[in-house]
Amino acid sequence: MFYALIRLGGRRGAYALLLFVVAYYTLFRPSVRARSSHYLKRRFPGRGAPARLWDSYRLSLGIGRILVDRAVLGILGPERLKVSLAGREELEALLAEGRGLVLVPAHVGCWQLAMSSLSALDARVSLLIHREEGDLDRHFFEHGGGSAPYHMIDPAGYLGGTLEMLQVLKHGEVVCIMGDRVMGSGTVSVDFLGQPVQLPFSPYKLASATGAPVAVIFPYQTGEGGYALQVARVIRVPEHLGRSSEAYRPYAAQFVEALERFVAEHPYQFFNFFDMWAPVVPAEPSRKG
Amino acid sequence: MDTKQKLKKILVEDLNLEELTPEQIDDDAPLFGEGLGLDSLDAVELVVLVQKHFGIEIKDMEEGRTAFQSVSALAAYIDGRLAA
Repeated sequence: MFYALIRLGGRRGAYALLLFVVAYYTLFRPSVRARSSHYLKRRFPGRGAPARLWDSYRLSLGIGRILVDRAVLGILGPERLKVSLAGREELEALLAEGRGLVLVPAHVGCWQLAMSSLSALDARVSLLIHREEGDLDRHFFEHGGGSAPYHMIDPAGYLGGTLEMLQVLKHGEVVCIMGDRVMGSGTVSVDFLGQPVQLPFSPYKLASATGAPVAVIFPYQTGEGGYALQVARVIRVPEHLGRSSEAYRPYAAQFVEALERFVAEHPYQFFNFFDMWAPVVPAEPSRKG
Repeated sequence: MDTKQKLKKILVEDLNLEELTPEQIDDDAPLFGEGLGLDSLDAVELVVLVQKHFGIEIKDMEEGRTAFQSVSALAAYIDGRLAA
């Protein structure tokens, strides 16, 4: 129904319908409130039930608008959205170092739109992404029947795609790895919003192995149909830090600092509905330090 | 010391496989998974180590895929590159 509305009446009609759909789901689907509660109860501790309900509505409305805009991009074309790449010169300067570039976004704003804006860079962009059955939505380019504007690396592929990512960097290209979602092996524990979460250290390990700089990027909605991509932080990982996961914890912590600043400024644009704070089941003892 | 022996020593010392000695590593055991128990991120480390100790940069990951099957395969790959 949303796709039809977008085709007939553009974004506004879909936004209007969204107000009622999100209200219904927030009020009558406990699972929707539960999924947003992992983050909200830590971002807004001590809120009462009415305020928590309102928070849940606002967060769900935020992701709803992102989904509509993503469909608008695919169905009506990129000219219907304004995506600004703040920090483009900074990213180009990092790429000019010739050692590749590791981009680390998070599930905030509309990262897929951000990926489309990265096509302005003079380098191929590869994204580590795992497509699952029952994904929430389609990628924006699939709405228009187009091909992806970025190369996709499957973390379920050979050695978790690590060799492919290494190859990308060795060719001076861009690899993009979500900083707030574990895909494959290799995690470190870092406090996020006051409690420990497990985060991947592969972006920092790849940077250490290749000398590539790391740029933490956050795409966010600036208004109706408007998005900006912010380079929140540049992380320099020393070369050859080795195999121990602990060596990479300070760099994952730098990512989290940037993410905490982002959610302080944009509390309703954090869309990682996975329970990042769930207790970790102890792993089998490994040889790693 | 031949390439296989040197590789085994590097694996034990640089990858901290503390409960293994070079002599205990089977030439044909898989490097990843059930064999030596290395994981996907160790592949990154292995690429770095091969470059550091043998001066060989593995840029073509299809070659890497073949070479990373076992110590024997990696030694053959290294010897082949050094001879080229």
